[in-house]
Amino acid sequence: MSRALIAALLAATTLTVPALAHSRPLTISTTLKNYSGNGAYLAVYVTDAKGAYAGTLWVSGGKPKFYKHLSDWNRLSAGNARGLDAITGASVTAGRTLKVTADVADALVDAGYEIRVDAAVEDLRDSPSEIRVPLTTTNAGKPHAGRQYIQSFTYQLQ
Amino acid sequence: MTWRVLHRWLGLVAGAVALVLGVTGVILALDPVVDTLKSAPVPAGLPVSTLVQRVSATIPGAEEIRRLPTGDIVVYAFDGNRASASYVDPADGRVLGEYQPSTPLRWIRNLHRSFLLDDAGRIAAAGIALAMLLMSVSGLVLLTRRMGSWRRLAGRVRGSLLQRIHVTSGRFLVAVLLLSSITALYMSAATFSLVTVERDAEPDVMSKVDVHADLPGHELPLLQKLPVAELRKLNFPYRDDPEDSWKVVTDRGAGWIDRHTGQTLAWEGALAAKRLHDWVMLLHTGEGTVVWALVLATLGASIPVFWVSGLMLWRQAHRQTPRITDNSALSQADILIFVASENGSTWGFAQALHRALVRNGHRVHRSGVERFQTATATRQVLVLAATYGDGQAPAHAARALERIARQPAGSAPVTVLGFGDRQFPAFCAFAEALDQALRMRGWPQLLPLERIHQQSAQQFTRWSEALGQALGESLPLEYVPQVPPTTPLTLISRQDFAGELGQPATILRFTWPPQHWLDRLRGRGLAHFEAGDLVGVLAPGSSVPRYYSLASGYRDGFLEICVRRMPDGLCSTYLHALRAGDAIGAFIRPNPGFGLDGSRQPVVLIGAGTGVAPLAGFIRGNRRHQPMHLYFGARDPARDFYFGKEIQAWLGDRRLASLRTAFSRTPDGGGYVQDALRHDATRVRELIARGAIVRVCGSRPMAQGVVETLDDILRTVSLSVQQLKAGGRYAEDVF
Repeated sequence: MSRALIAALLAATTLTVPALAHSRPLTISTTLKNYSGNGAYLAVYVTDAKGAYAGTLWVSGGKPKFYKHLSDWNRLSAGNARGLDAITGASVTAGRTLKVTADVADALVDAGYEIRVDAAVEDLRDSPSEIRVPLTTTNAGKPHAGRQYIQSFTYQLQ
Repeated sequence: MTWRVLHRWLGLVAGAVALVLGVTGVILALDPVVDTLKSAPVPAGLPVSTLVQRVSATIPGAEEIRRLPTGDIVVYAFDGNRASASYVDPADGRVLGEYQPSTPLRWIRNLHRSFLLDDAGRIAAAGIALAMLLMSVSGLVLLTRRMGSWRRLAGRVRGSLLQRIHVTSGRFLVAVLLLSSITALYMSAATFSLVTVERDAEPDVMSKVDVHADLPGHELPLLQKLPVAELRKLNFPYRDDPEDSWKVVTDRGAGWIDRHTGQTLAWEGALAAKRLHDWVMLLHTGEGTVVWALVLATLGASIPVFWVSGLMLWRQAHRQTPRITDNSALSQADILIFVASENGSTWGFAQALHRALVRNGHRVHRSGVERFQTATATRQVLVLAATYGDGQAPAHAARALERIARQPAGSAPVTVLGFGDRQFPAFCAFAEALDQALRMRGWPQLLPLERIHQQSAQQFTRWSEALGQALGESLPLEYVPQVPPTTPLTLISRQDFAGELGQPATILRFTWPPQHWLDRLRGRGLAHFEAGDLVGVLAPGSSVPRYYSLASGYRDGFLEICVRRMPDGLCSTYLHALRAGDAIGAFIRPNPGFGLDGSRQPVVLIGAGTGVAPLAGFIRGNRRHQPMHLYFGARDPARDFYFGKEIQAWLGDRRLASLRTAFSRTPDGGGYVQDALRHDATRVRELIARGAIVRVCGSRPMAQGVVETLDDILRTVSLSVQQLKAGGRYAEDVF
């Protein structure tokens, strides 16, 4: 569902640090469990070593009124990532895989930053910070299981 | 008219889609009812803190407690690496079972709100909700018109079986349908963020990290004060995040609690819009209620009933409307025919005229007289107008005179042809009024006003010959009188009375052939009738039906009339010659406005001679013991006390509250029925002042006499028959 948007992402989602303009593509693959419920809202974002918000890579789910259920992301980003059409796609159905590519600045890799995923499903429990994985070259390619909805989460650095 | 068109087309198109909403709505409303009924009860006054304590003891790793709208308590937990959701008994914290929202039900809900098409479907569903809203409003307008006024909305519904099904169920459910569609629209607006229901951001709160020990949930003051009945959701703080806090959501708002100190870090009251949204959800889904959910389920189930009965009504009406072939547009026609018809027979004459003119090469436009207007192409205008009752316009033509008075005269000549019955003093009065209005405006005419008696085909042919001559062409007509389809009625018994000299009377009781309910639904066979409606009978060799007031209703299982033999009366002579087992062809003609409307008000029935027949029918059908008072005038109890035995029986079983008779030809008989009224003036005045309904049936002079007498009686309480008529409380059936 989101593959068509990948090209657009490359431009829009580059997380840059002003001094270092070098960036590399980061491919995220998130497979959902076969839970019984409607499509999941997901927010994929990056926080620094202190837990402060650094930027949003991707949001699945188009209705801003449900974003408060992605509570960590919503709180940390203070609504900053709203309305970024280029990094927003449809909610992800149970059992399906979301695969998106974003650009991250070199300076964020192996520098104590973390990738987080918040998940929420209508009428089911919200699952903020369902995934918390340090953004390091050694972690790349390793699958991580989520607590509630995510079967496996993997990222690749190129 | 536009309301009717709106109602019909929205119903046909949107109604078909609404079927899906109705059927899924029934399931969605009923399913939680079971849960609501069997949900473990929350002990009165149980604080949330105690619930937390119990849950913590039974479910290690509990992370969230929810109270569902059905009243069930569900606890979400994450223990080790396994997530779980369980029903919990709030009384002791016992796990009752696994909580697993049903997949089929989720699918049905998505079908209900978005036709499984996501946003496009949601917009479509909102469109259907809007259509339902408009259908409810238009239905209400049509219902009000049908019943006469707002105040009579609850009255008895008349008409065919199908009409009664549609109208009765509609009347019952229109309020719920309105509410459902309005709440659906509000919910759509909330989904598309057109109304803001909740704050975007949560307050940025953190537990103090300098204190290390967690306070257990049951020691948090906010939770100790909060009853479980008000709880929506309680989130425990994450085990591994010392800055995380408790979050509690209630009906009134949301609060955040420090995990170490137990202090309330923030409290946000629910927005007014959120409270409204909660109410809207409750009204729309009925979740958590039993009675309201059942009402909503009934509504859902009724949508197919509305749709199917509406569709069938539309098809029946479509079949019965006079089909106008070769009708040119108003702007292109050289001859316009305008019709005012009470029971459709005048349309038959217009049809014959129309065909003949088209055969002669004319372009003809035909329409109801209430649409009277001309165009530049118009060369001739013909108005065919029947008169209703006492010289009034037929119902559809009620505004025709006003319309003519508002228009400037045109150059095309307008010729008026009146239809009526010489027995009535106001013979062709409406046609005369039309003709007069046209002349006053200054319209020219081709032929002077002509009046046709009792739908005489010969007279009509003569008039058309004159018209042909005036137009300079030959105009041969093929007029075939139109009579509604008849049903064979078999005479089962008759009761003869001597009546007046040379005019014996008889009460004839008929039955009709058995009718399948499907045929009745389709509007075939003998139509539904009630006492006070009319039966049309065609004597052999006659094309003009005679109408008799009905002394029974369909529910009585027989059809009864009282017929006086008129000198030279073709139809009455034919009926008087019938013997048990003989059959006649007949059809029902409704007599709206005369029948009783189902209210509980007392009724004053005033009848003379055979005019007692429909009144006897009212009394016979009075199974609810509405207070009915009969004033009956006759000549001689030995000769014309029609229904005498039955009336005595009805007095006995309280269907009739009181009887006053007046016999004009016996000494001390009491004179005429007017004399009986005058004799009873105080009582009559009191009854009418208290809101009684009056029905009068008899000859024209008798009805006139009753009006004068009642006006006299009512003068002291500043009432008049005119006022009662305007309020729909006084109606006459005169012959």
